[in-house]
Amino acid sequence: MLEKFQEWYENRHEYQEKYKERTGNKIVGYFCTYTPEELFYAADILPVRILGSHEPQDVTEPHIFGMFCPFCRDALAQGLKGKYDYLDGITIGQSCLHLRQAFTSWDLHKNPGWSYFLPMPNHVQSKRAVPFLVEEYRLLIKKIEELAGKRIRDDDLRQGIDIMNKVRQAMKEIYEFRKEENPPITGTEAMYMTCAQFFTDAREFLPVAKEVNRELASRRLDRDPGKRIMLIGSENDDIEYINMIETLGERESVGCTVVVEEHCTTTRYFWDEVDTDIDDPVRAIAERYVLRTPCPSKDWPQRTRLQRILKLAKDFRVDGAIIIQQKFCDPHEADIPFIRRFLEDNGIPTYFLEFDVTVASGPFAVRTEAFLETLEAEEDLF
Amino acid sequence: MAGENTQEYWRWTESHWKNPDIRWEDAKIVTVGIDVGSVSSQAVVMTDGHLYAYSNMRTGSDSPESARNALNFGLEETNMPESRIDYCIGTGYGRVNVPMADRSITEIACHARGAHFIYGPEVRTVLDVGGQDCKAIRCDEKGKVVNFLMNDKCAAGTGRGMEVFADLLSVPIIDVGERSFQVKEEPESVSSTCVVYAKTEATGLLRKGWQVNEVLAAYCSAMAHRIFTLIERIGIEKEFAITGGLAKNRGVIERLMKEIGLEPMRTDWDTQIAGAVGAALFGYALVQKGKGRKK
Repeated sequence: MLEKFQEWYENRHEYQEKYKERTGNKIVGYFCTYTPEELFYAADILPVRILGSHEPQDVTEPHIFGMFCPFCRDALAQGLKGKYDYLDGITIGQSCLHLRQAFTSWDLHKNPGWSYFLPMPNHVQSKRAVPFLVEEYRLLIKKIEELAGKRIRDDDLRQGIDIMNKVRQAMKEIYEFRKEENPPITGTEAMYMTCAQFFTDAREFLPVAKEVNRELASRRLDRDPGKRIMLIGSENDDIEYINMIETLGERESVGCTVVVEEHCTTTRYFWDEVDTDIDDPVRAIAERYVLRTPCPSKDWPQRTRLQRILKLAKDFRVDGAIIIQQKFCDPHEADIPFIRRFLEDNGIPTYFLEFDVTVASGPFAVRTEAFLETLEAEEDLF
Repeated sequence: MAGENTQEYWRWTESHWKNPDIRWEDAKIVTVGIDVGSVSSQAVVMTDGHLYAYSNMRTGSDSPESARNALNFGLEETNMPESRIDYCIGTGYGRVNVPMADRSITEIACHARGAHFIYGPEVRTVLDVGGQDCKAIRCDEKGKVVNFLMNDKCAAGTGRGMEVFADLLSVPIIDVGERSFQVKEEPESVSSTCVVYAKTEATGLLRKGWQVNEVLAAYCSAMAHRIFTLIERIGIEKEFAITGGLAKNRGVIERLMKEIGLEPMRTDWDTQIAGAVGAALFGYALVQKGKGRKK
């Protein structure tokens, strides 16, 4: 069943177009994981995340500055090239200016029908963040009601919460397998899974995830897991890179398995659940997004991410961490020296790589391999 | 066309060497390191951890063939049969395509270990300027990599760029360093180390009446500065050693040292063989510890 995730990842548009035909439900594309998907599920609207395609393109030059990150450019290109013409609307929960520019350009030039900018507070550590977001959510709910053509009641919201919490739990249960000595699921496969969740209806994703969970219990991979690696950093769905480093062992003398990541395409996105003990569902959702593992654009004045990263690194027993930055992703760039120092002080070696739309596989392979060699502590060589 | 200039100015001399003081017949362990780089390939033969023979050649279009040629050239005057080799390690850009290798290790690890052997155990920072990339490596007292950086995405400011420049200005590559100092005053650096842009800029300088030596100086200092920005990022700890082909170009190295404000370690060995030396030494250590080839 695992291959279903890859199929969904590779055929996201086909799935979504057929989904519309099949269900008659509307689909809204969102740009950042600070978009509360629960509110859309409450209205029977499918929220899908817009990711890039990792193909070189030439359509965004008039819209986005050259020193904005490649991910926001790649995401906007999908819209400008008409790949998402079937969407009924677009939205964004504010995180960084680069991605907001992608949203704004798309909104201006593609006439998406319905569009909504959600002012998600950046100062999430402020006491006023939750009450502020609750009021913002109430405005957003009204706009979603207009699009859906129906009222959203508290029970609908609880339904939305239930849907999202269940997929989060299902993915976390699958992540548990990655703690094993020889994980039955590779980092490549896990990345297909978390991204497939962006592109599909959680209610259709869930039974597949449960089936995968059952299969993993008896799955054995005929490969040497090598070093246990954590990936940390910007948006990353560069499966080509992950697959390249996980297959190094087939060609070279060192290999590795990505056992956990701290990306907004993986744990930052799904690790935290909505607290169902909170009576008001709107407030419960707002708390979840304010308190979730933050994007570095919101992680100030305290850097709360550091402890969360360390906990994941320890729980998944990583040997080393590769810190990834999308070129020009300033919020992440500002955090990198702190993360590296903090992890190294805690005995976890790190290496840094700067990503672009496409990855320079050759140079990245030798760097990653040399980093793995430094982790190997192969005293026999000296 | 009569009088057409067919000299290849970029072409550096391929060489091989055999240690006259060693008899391979007396050796207990023979190990080989083969470094197939993007521009040059080397084979190093070690007998009981001592440097016995080496070769340094141009890499061809076929990695396995380049490895084979380098090994044959290295063994040429030794009369040693290839079957005598106990262990062979491939390194460099073509490391997985060395047919006679028992395993591969990255050139980053090998250059650190090789520099440790060539320059001595005091070396802590190694700069390897190769044919198409540039690596700054920090290592410990054993020659083990602690941290490293490589130039990103583009091969500007590396050996191949220097070859192109030698050709453009019709100056034999071996003379580039020397001639870059035969100038009345040091000109401004060319503003780009990108081979394509720098070529354009150099042609412009020549047209404006600058002398060839001055243009060479301008390019050497641009390369030195680019290398400096890389090595500055990793932090320089003494002692500092340079490996790779560009270590032989004093036009770049002396300008780089001026920027760093530090004297590099010196050696009489060919700096291009450092990677293969490291590979052969790793092989020696493995065989010594019984981790060699499974018979």
